[in-house]
Amino acid sequence: MDQEILLTIQGYAKFFIILFVFIVFYSYAYSIYKRQRTGERDYEKYSKLVLDDSLDSTPLEERDRLEKKKS
Amino acid sequence: MFHWLEQRPFFFAVALFLTVAFAGFVEIIPDFAKASQPTVGTKPYSVLELAGRQVYIKDSCNACHSQLVRPFKSETDRYGMYSLSGEYAYDRPFLWGSKRTGPDLMRVGNYRTTDWHENHMMAPSEVVPGSIMPAYPHQFTNEADIATAYANANTQKEVFGTPYDQADMPKLGSWDEANAQALDDAKAIAKDMKNQEVKDAVAGGKIPEVVALIAYLNSLK
Amino acid sequence: MQSNAQLEYDYSVVKAFTFATILFGIIGMLVGVIIAFQLAFPELSNLAGEYGTFGRLRPLHTNGVAFGFTLSGIFATWYYVGQRTLKMSLKESKLLMTVAKLHFGLYFLTILLAVVTLAMGFTSSKEYAELEWPLDVLVVVWWVLWGVAMFGMIGMRRERTIYVSTWYYMSSFLAVAMLYLFNNMEVPTFLWSGDAPSSLMHSISMYSGTNDALVQWWYGHNAVAFVFTTPIIGMIYYFLPKESGQNIFSYKLSVLAFWGLMFVYLWAGGHHLVYSTVPDWMQTMGSVMSVVLILPSWGSAINMLLTMKGEWQQLQTSPLIKFMILASTFYMLSTIEGPIQAIKSVNAIAHFTDWIPGHVHDGVLGWVGFMTIASLYHMAPRMFKREIYSKKLMDAQFWIQTVAIILYFTSMWIAGITQGMMWRAYDEYGSLLYSFIDTVTVLQPYYTIRAVGGLLYLIGFFMFAYNMYKTATVGRVLDREPANASPMAV
Ligand code: HEC
Ligand code: HEM
Repeated sequence: MDQEILLTIQGYAKFFIILFVFIVFYSYAYSIYKRQRTGERDYEKYSKLVLDDSLDSTPLEERDRLEKKKS
Repeated sequence: MFHWLEQRPFFFAVALFLTVAFAGFVEIIPDFAKASQPTVGTKPYSVLELAGRQVYIKDSCNACHSQLVRPFKSETDRYGMYSLSGEYAYDRPFLWGSKRTGPDLMRVGNYRTTDWHENHMMAPSEVVPGSIMPAYPHQFTNEADIATAYANANTQKEVFGTPYDQADMPKLGSWDEANAQALDDAKAIAKDMKNQEVKDAVAGGKIPEVVALIAYLNSLK
Repeated sequence: MQSNAQLEYDYSVVKAFTFATILFGIIGMLVGVIIAFQLAFPELSNLAGEYGTFGRLRPLHTNGVAFGFTLSGIFATWYYVGQRTLKMSLKESKLLMTVAKLHFGLYFLTILLAVVTLAMGFTSSKEYAELEWPLDVLVVVWWVLWGVAMFGMIGMRRERTIYVSTWYYMSSFLAVAMLYLFNNMEVPTFLWSGDAPSSLMHSISMYSGTNDALVQWWYGHNAVAFVFTTPIIGMIYYFLPKESGQNIFSYKLSVLAFWGLMFVYLWAGGHHLVYSTVPDWMQTMGSVMSVVLILPSWGSAINMLLTMKGEWQQLQTSPLIKFMILASTFYMLSTIEGPIQAIKSVNAIAHFTDWIPGHVHDGVLGWVGFMTIASLYHMAPRMFKREIYSKKLMDAQFWIQTVAIILYFTSMWIAGITQGMMWRAYDEYGSLLYSFIDTVTVLQPYYTIRAVGGLLYLIGFFMFAYNMYKTATVGRVLDREPANASPMAV
């Protein structure tokens, strides 16, 4: 393919991908803050994964809950 | 969506990989197509030059020297014409370097000669006072690896279609032919050198590294 | 019988990698100091024949510190952080334990072979990918083993949500796998040697010239991202909150910063479109958005600093916290410096000069080095079940190494800019003002300062090695694992 055409395609591809990523990223950011505020999901508790990490401490969220429906 | 991913390591990994890989392809593929066409007049290296190139790599001259003249006046004044993509078409690997502790060598063949290199490689600071380039006396005694250079050239020819053995292009032929040709080329270089041991070695059919290296440096134009 | 014994985390592989980190750290930095002195005093280049020349040693330094020191630090902390945040023990699976041990064994062997082959001059010449093809094959094998161990451990976890540190380790695993494979595509030449008795080790790149350079830089830029940046962020996300006993300032921010970084890094080499035919406004918008995306990548560093909110007095009481806070500060410094150097007009001056090694080293000495050292210090009381041998020594080490870093990067900044300006200086008649050698000799004092800085850093590293050794052998035995602040004897 012609070099010029390739470059143009690359340019447009890049622009729209960055735009897309940009939108996804900031809407994701907005959504987590919203979910935290409405209490749908508490993100901050995951810090406990570090502070309470001995092998015999109870997991924050048990794994088998994965199979059941989210309560 | 992301939260769902975060608890499913497999899909998480896939998403991550796609993010990382995709950008790479959009970034480099288009450049890829254009770059590999040789510029008119660019020729593959002779076997002796390739052996010298291998010496250059073995001693990592590229740790201190670039081979890339950028299109700035201050660079073209110092080193000559700026580099064109096609000039590198037969360079495997490329040797642009990343650090100019020493000057660019892309076109050093235009302004340095065999006997200058001979003295300089033996003792740089005697030729250029204040030079911090290491001396390379071992290159005057180590033998160049012509066999590997031949394998190198032949791989380029067989695998990548580098135009050896074509009209107006360097001849490669069989190993015996190539070896004989390399020795002839080495003799032509040694003629301009003063070091008696090097001259004797070449006369006796052995090619010291420095001879191959100089052949390579002379080819950089 | 097995089931009665209380289950514990297994630190045998962690210990092995910790040892490797220290060993390769010493080798790699020693070589670094040697080459730094060689630039100031070139006679030193010719003390060991061909094996001691600058060219041979430089790849030894870069590979030694990147693939020896940094990688083993990453592996050591992975097997530690991984087990603990997933709440699983390697002891629970014979298979994973074997894989992890094999990973260590092959890795260690590869690095030792790398030292030998590089010194002998077997190199592909591509930066950070110098190893010749037989070693590349080995690298691929143990990289895959690491992946098996990682995903195996994740598969066995008790904790449902995967902590953000593990995401970072995963991203390194995936990205480096891809980058390394593509950049090291090479053809061994002995296969086409005809009858020539050629070397078995030699190979040539699949790509030629400009293409080879494109792939190499794509690799080079991102290898830095996924070896020197992401796994180290993974480390700090675990070790800083743990050591200080603080909650992460904002876990949400850490999640965002992760994806932000993943998106940004790979798009960062944005200079390709400058000469193309796409409309100007689009190019401009492209760069503006890249800049906006940079914000989330700073998120991590700020998040770390703010984690210390309300607990800043720990900076005075714990040298370990000092290491980590300074590390994130240097992370901020080098991530702002990098983009500055990428600006076209700055790059025109900075490229090829000593500013680049200057930039590299405020990142690697301040950020990678300090974070690795701090992580190992934190792990020591837990894996050896002993108190850290000496706080005083650690404090002294901190100050010596901090001075070292400052000497290093200030001298290289000055050297780089001096050199860059001299190369392009013209006299009034329009001819170049300086011959090349003038631009070399002028740097001698800066090279000397840098070498002294490097020597100080190495001395600090020896103090670290000694402190760790003493901790493992004569530190006071602890009766139970410390929760947060690592115990240290005065
Ligand atoms: C420590 C870094 C260093 C290494 C390694 C090094 N050089 Fe140099 N080189 C220099 C410096 C500095 C100069 C400028 C002073 C001089 O001419 O000696 C230079 C100059 C040169 C020149 C003269 C260029 C000119 O335009 O005048 C050539 C040719 C050269 N080097 C070839 C080599 C070769 C071949 C090797 C590998 C075997 C090598 N160099 C390795 C630092 C280095
Ligand atoms: C003991 C301290 C150290 C000293 C004295 C030192 C010295 C050096 C020197 C002299 C160079 C060559 C620069 C040039 O070509 O002009 C270099 C390059 C490099 N070093 Fe170090 N180094 C040290 C520690 C480290 C550490 C700990 C790392 C990584 C974890 C590291 C990573 C690198 C890299 C990646 C390069 C290549 C830079 C480039 O290509 O621009 N160094 N170092």
